[in-house]
Formats: sequence, C-alpha cells, structure tokens
Amino acid sequence: MSAGPYNYSYIFKYIIIGDMGVGKSCLLHQFTEKKFMADCPHTIGVEFGTRIIEVAGQKIKLQIWDTAGQERFRAVTRSYYRGAAGALLVYDITRRSTYNHLSSWLSDARNLTNPNTVIFLIGNKSDLEAQRDVTYEEAKQFADENELLFIEASAKTGDNVEDAFLETAKKIYQNIQDGSLDLNAAESGVQHKPLQPGRNQPQNQPNPTKEGCAC
Amino acid sequence: MTSAVFPLTVYVLVFITIVFAILLERETDGGKMEDVLDESVSEEDLRKFERRYHDSLAQGTVTHVIQFEYAWCLIRSKYPTDVKRGIFLLEDLSKGENESGKRDCIYYLAIGNAKIKEYSKALGYTKVLLQVEPGNRQVQTLKHTIEKRMEREGLKGMAIIGGAALALGSLIGLGVALARK
Repeated sequence: MSAGPYNYSYIFKYIIIGDMGVGKSCLLHQFTEKKFMADCPHTIGVEFGTRIIEVAGQKIKLQIWDTAGQERFRAVTRSYYRGAAGALLVYDITRRSTYNHLSSWLSDARNLTNPNTVIFLIGNKSDLEAQRDVTYEEAKQFADENELLFIEASAKTGDNVEDAFLETAKKIYQNIQDGSLDLNAAESGVQHKPLQPGRNQPQNQPNPTKEGCAC
Repeated sequence: MTSAVFPLTVYVLVFITIVFAILLERETDGGKMEDVLDESVSEEDLRKFERRYHDSLAQGTVTHVIQFEYAWCLIRSKYPTDVKRGIFLLEDLSKGENESGKRDCIYYLAIGNAKIKEYSKALGYTKVLLQVEPGNRQVQTLKHTIEKRMEREGLKGMAIIGGAALALGSLIGLGVALARK
C-alpha cells in the first residue's frame, strides 16, 4: 500500500441520482467501504464519498456526490449536477416505478451536465431475482436507445458494484485521451493534478521534452 | 557558552515547527475538497434560490420548502454572513417542522455551525440526531468530520502559538546574548 493520499493525477467528479430507496447510498458505501449497510435511513440532502482507483496505470481520485432521492430535496440537489464527469443513474429492478421515472432523471442529467458526461445506468438489487419487476433486456434496450452504459448490480452482495464505478472512470479517461473531453473547460468535472516533482512518477506519463535545452 | 547553545536550540525548534506546519497543510491536501464542509454553492444557484425566497416573501407565500431550499444554499455559501443567515432561517424553520423536516434542519444546522467554527454547537446538533437514530451513518460521518476539523484547528492554533512563543524566546535569547557582550 504505497498509495499515499496525494499520489493521484486526476480527480473525477461523480453524482449518483435516482428515485428514493433504490440503494444509491448503499452502492456508494459498498464501493468506498466494501460493506453493505442493512438498515439505511434516507439520505439528508447529499452525501459525499471518495476513493482512489487506478485506470491505465493512472491513479484517479473519485469525488462522489450521492444525492437524496426524496422529492423535497430535488431542487437543490440539481445544483450538484454541474461539473460532473460521471453520473450513475440508479433504479431498483424490483420496483418498476423507479424504472419508469428514469427518463425524468435522465433529462435532468442531460440538461444540467455537459455533453461529455458519462452516464451509467445501474439496475440495483440484482440479488432479489425472485422479486424482479424489470427485465434485463428492456433496461438494456432503454440504455442502448439513450446511449448509456448499463449494468445490473447488487449493493448487498457487492456484485458488479466496482465495475459500474470503474467502467465509468475508464470511459471518462478514454474521453480525455481521445480529446473529446476538454480538461480546460470549467465544467468538465475533471481536474488534472500533475504529480509534484520528487513523488513517484508513473512510468507511462510522458515527460515534456525540453527543446533546445543545453543543460 | 550558554548564549551560543540557546539560540541553536531555538533554531532547531523553529525548524521543527515549520516542518510540522507544512505537514499539517499537506494533511489538508492544500484546501482541496475532502468532505461536505469544503463544498460551496455556486453564486448563480444561491441567487436563484434567494430570488425565489424574496419573491414569495413579498407575496406572503413563503412555504417551508422555499425557506429550506434558500437556507440550505446559504449554509453552502463560502461567506460566513450567508451561513449565519442560513442558520437563522433554519432555526426559525425547525420550530414548526414535522419530524422529517426537523431532521433536515438539524443536520444542516450542524453543518452551518461547523462552517462558522461553532464546533461545540455543531456537535450538539449531531448528538440530537444520533439520539433519535444512533445508527445513522451519514450523521456519524458528519460528527467525525467536525471532530477532525476541530482537531486540525486546534493543532494549527498550537503551531501558531508555539511558533510565536519560539520567536519571542529567540528574541529574548538574542537580547540576553547582546547584553552579555
């Protein structure tokens, strides 16, 4: 564990959105603490969590804003959307109503984030197969039609939770690499944090070559 | 002999203090976003909710929701005067709210008070919430964040006082050394 808290080269901002009770906070907790919270009270306003991950040899710090799903918080939680590089849109596979509301959450996300924001659709509670109310196929189709990444996950068992957060980061990183995400844009949701000299520099980070340097 | 040794010790101690202060600054990651207390609302959003509140105030149609939303944005402001106003509005709201509304108000009263460094008041509010819901992790996290903040402020205070004492000490040392000449 040599990863000190400052050894990361990017910060990505994420938001987690979706109806109340779909398990947004439990997904966050499973991802940051690798634990399942059995009895999870409704989130007040917003919660915050961080974790450092690695994509293509680069350490990336995820700053995750987990928003309350209750309607009375919705107006203000919208102000957290701005500048998100990734949005995890969550529904509960055992409650169709949470799936039916996806288009409303999605239009909020599209209107309030930038066009490059990676939106990942998560069907949570995949461990409750017997109570399934939304098929994988139809959700997959919805995701394809709206150009969303999609996975079914379980905050309870931890199944696919890592994947959802990591795949989102990979996609963001890819957008940076191919130039479609402008790091200088104020609301890209990504901060590049060049490692300070003297810290362990990742090998694959190209060092700027000094031209005509006689030293 | 003593006049030569004394300043040397002082310099060593000053050096230690500086190193300590640098380490402390690093721990805060140069002021980057680390928890809910670091985050602030955009000017634009604050104005939006402010306008809505004032408009409905003028028309006499202020609802709990409108007041809460404005207060929440004020609490998230980076200006202490805004935060104080947010606290005032939440205190006013928390008197008349139902249970879940009260919980929201108290949670943001804890954040607001922590932001203006009224730490014991802030911790008091988290205790109220934990009495009702001892297992609420969001509140536990906030309590821990406030305690960490207090500790950090305390350490910073100690570093400043320590530094000042050492500077004074070295001046006296210098005075003594000069007087002996």
